[in-house]
Amino acid sequence: MSATTSNASVRSTEPLVWGNPSFHDVTQTVSGIVEERKTPIWWWVAISISGALTLNFFAMMAYLFWTGIGVWGNNVPVGWGWPIVNFVFWVGIGHAGTLISAVLFLLRQKWRTSINRFAEAMTIFAVICALIFPGIHVGRIWVAYFMFPIPNQMAMWPNFRSALMWDVFAVGTYFTASFLFWYTGLVPDWATLRDRAQTKWRRLIYGVLAMGWRNGNKQWKHYELAYLLLAGISTPLVLSVHSVVSTDFATSMQFGWHTTIFPPYFVAGAIFSGFGMVMTLAILARIVYPPVKNYMTVTTLERMAKVIMLTGMMVGYAYITEFFMAYYSGNKYEQFVFVNRMFGPYAWAYWIMFSCNVIIPQIFWSKKMRTSIPVLFVASIFVNIGMWFERFVIVITMHRDFLPSSWGMFKPTIYDIGIFAGSFGLFFTLFLLFLRFVPMIAMSEIKGVLPQAQVKHHHGHDEGGA
Amino acid sequence: MQFNQETYTFTDPGRFGKIMLIVGIIGLLLSAVGIAVDAHQFFASYLVNFTFWATLGIGGLFFVLVHHMTGAVWSVSVRRIGEAAMATLPMVGLLAIPMLLGVNQIFSWTDSAMMHADPILEAKLGYLNVPFFIIRTVVYIGVWILLSILLRRLSLAQDSSWGENAPSRFLRVSGPGTIAFAFTVSFAGFDWIMSLQPLWYSTIFGLWFFSGAAVTIYAFFAITSHALAKKGVLAKEITQEHRHDIAKLLFTFMVFWAYMALSQYLLIWYANMPEETAFFKDRWVGTWTFWSVFYPVAGFVLPFVLMMSRHIKRNRWFLTFWAVYLLLFHWFDLYWNIVPTFHPDNAIFSWMDLTLFVGMGGLMLWRFWAVFTRHPVLPVTDPNLQDSLDFVNQ
Repeated sequence: MSATTSNASVRSTEPLVWGNPSFHDVTQTVSGIVEERKTPIWWWVAISISGALTLNFFAMMAYLFWTGIGVWGNNVPVGWGWPIVNFVFWVGIGHAGTLISAVLFLLRQKWRTSINRFAEAMTIFAVICALIFPGIHVGRIWVAYFMFPIPNQMAMWPNFRSALMWDVFAVGTYFTASFLFWYTGLVPDWATLRDRAQTKWRRLIYGVLAMGWRNGNKQWKHYELAYLLLAGISTPLVLSVHSVVSTDFATSMQFGWHTTIFPPYFVAGAIFSGFGMVMTLAILARIVYPPVKNYMTVTTLERMAKVIMLTGMMVGYAYITEFFMAYYSGNKYEQFVFVNRMFGPYAWAYWIMFSCNVIIPQIFWSKKMRTSIPVLFVASIFVNIGMWFERFVIVITMHRDFLPSSWGMFKPTIYDIGIFAGSFGLFFTLFLLFLRFVPMIAMSEIKGVLPQAQVKHHHGHDEGGA
Repeated sequence: MQFNQETYTFTDPGRFGKIMLIVGIIGLLLSAVGIAVDAHQFFASYLVNFTFWATLGIGGLFFVLVHHMTGAVWSVSVRRIGEAAMATLPMVGLLAIPMLLGVNQIFSWTDSAMMHADPILEAKLGYLNVPFFIIRTVVYIGVWILLSILLRRLSLAQDSSWGENAPSRFLRVSGPGTIAFAFTVSFAGFDWIMSLQPLWYSTIFGLWFFSGAAVTIYAFFAITSHALAKKGVLAKEITQEHRHDIAKLLFTFMVFWAYMALSQYLLIWYANMPEETAFFKDRWVGTWTFWSVFYPVAGFVLPFVLMMSRHIKRNRWFLTFWAVYLLLFHWFDLYWNIVPTFHPDNAIFSWMDLTLFVGMGGLMLWRFWAVFTRHPVLPVTDPNLQDSLDFVNQ
């Protein structure tokens, strides 16, 4: 991000941005997408579909509030059905953005610059989708404020020892920090759009969003320090959020849920699924906006494929460790849970999960596969499917609890399916709005990693690196 | 000791190696007396120190694997130190022999009467039995030695061939090697330490064991780079910038360790199931109580607060202090995990803890020094070497 880059990062034989664009070309390409007068037809088609799904989402939620959560398939012993599956799924997706923008920043991975804006936006939208589910899952939406420790004359407080309470704080903090990080990065680009604006309204709106940014030397100095600090603050959040989400399960005494590897295992899975979703969206963006191909290059996608393979195998490590430990524990109930997952009535779900998350990413050992756009696209879809099924397996295989007379199968209703599909509608609606109105590539940062931005002597550039 | 600054080779490795060898032999001989005095204590001390020094070799292997996997540039200038650290793994193999010979003294699951008395323990006999334990230990260490030999050989081949294709050759070993590493290290943690309490289990235990190895290698880099620089070896090649990165990674893995330890504690405390809480309850008796409070404070709180500053990370004396501190804490971490099964009432430190530490350490450092000084201490033909030397933290 900084204008001075050490030799280490530019020595890579391949430039991060293809086509050798000038600074002006970058501004033209990225701002051009937002400034295009005529909204493309595909955009209208896409937002009609996602908008319809979103409306359906809200309609089904309204029915849910009116009728109660009995409209879902949740039933003891599967007290948590799809809502919690969807919640964890969306929170997981929301992990890639901050990992890319914060952790990869601290690790000096310059290739992140072309996808970080994009991935962070996806994070924010995914977390919005995620936060809806625990909210509506409480059933009595009008008392959702009970989730927050608000002083009240009934002296009723949430249980601070509850992992669900921690969730509210962890995900809420994550959303706030991600949003601030994203917005801080956006400020110089808002200013660019303001300065290029042809109409009064555009200038006004982007001007307000730019918060008085004037590209001053001092402003940049503050900006870079703020960015570094936000990266430092966001990094622990990448780990903490999904760790806390994992405690929703792991603090229980439920066999198959209560296992100490859950926090790092969930974090690895979250990064895996997040990268899967970024990959899917990046490939779609490359199709609808071909100039973006020079920024989100095949090499960048290849690196993401490597991260997907690595985190997929971390998840595989956790599956195998859990399975081994179930055997090693000598605990019949623990063992039953895993045998039931693998060979019971939900074996199909287990093996979908295992294939999509552990086996399919193995194709990325081959460079040919890592650099083939169709292969990457299909594989990223499988990653998304696999990670949804991971949460499905964890939650739904509780269908056989300690009391065999209550054993049964979980049957999702039309409202389960509709609300899940609706959350995709909301996600894509927000994402389409983002593509149309917000510069989807961080222009100022991309300029910083272009070859012409490199300064050979970097004495006195001491900021950062905490 | 004579060092050629032009070729980065030692013309005379000096006395350090010999001193270490003598210290090591004396230390081990003294400790051998301990078997006669108190075999129980000897094996407790042995396991703590064996696992401690094993994590140096494991950590070295981890560093080299990750270095190649990520195509890291900055760490080229310290790579040979890491390679020499991983080359101590055959010594780890030798040091494992007394542990295998003393398996009946160390692990309660070798007591077949006890195992058959409890149906849960009986169910574990398929895994927890002496022949299989020995086979597994041989496989773990064998895999590590194999990987370290392959990676070291490629590295040395690079010196003579101006290794054009070196990166892809390294990758061919380090890719599958990382997978093998993950499982062998985790299971070594399960076997060597977790199985001390055969009823107890924790899925994160392997990762905890690994986190200690990662802390060890970065602490080792900090200390060796400082000590070598004082002797004029790699004084200009391992710069403040490299040490800053080493410090950041040391800090990172210290936090990672805390994350593993907290995940294990928090979840077990929360669910409060007797077969799991036994582990912590055993560490909440007698003077163990004090050490159990000391554990998170010394292992995380102090270093987290005091090591965070950039100034401290970039100052070689402060960094060396924290590296030594974290190494000592890593030793204590293993002690706290291992010794309560030997001394359930109170924490007892023995002179054998010290003599075995010095004895094994002498042999390990002798081996390290012998490997390190045999070849150029920089991979002089590595394509990334110049960039590594020029590396600047932003």
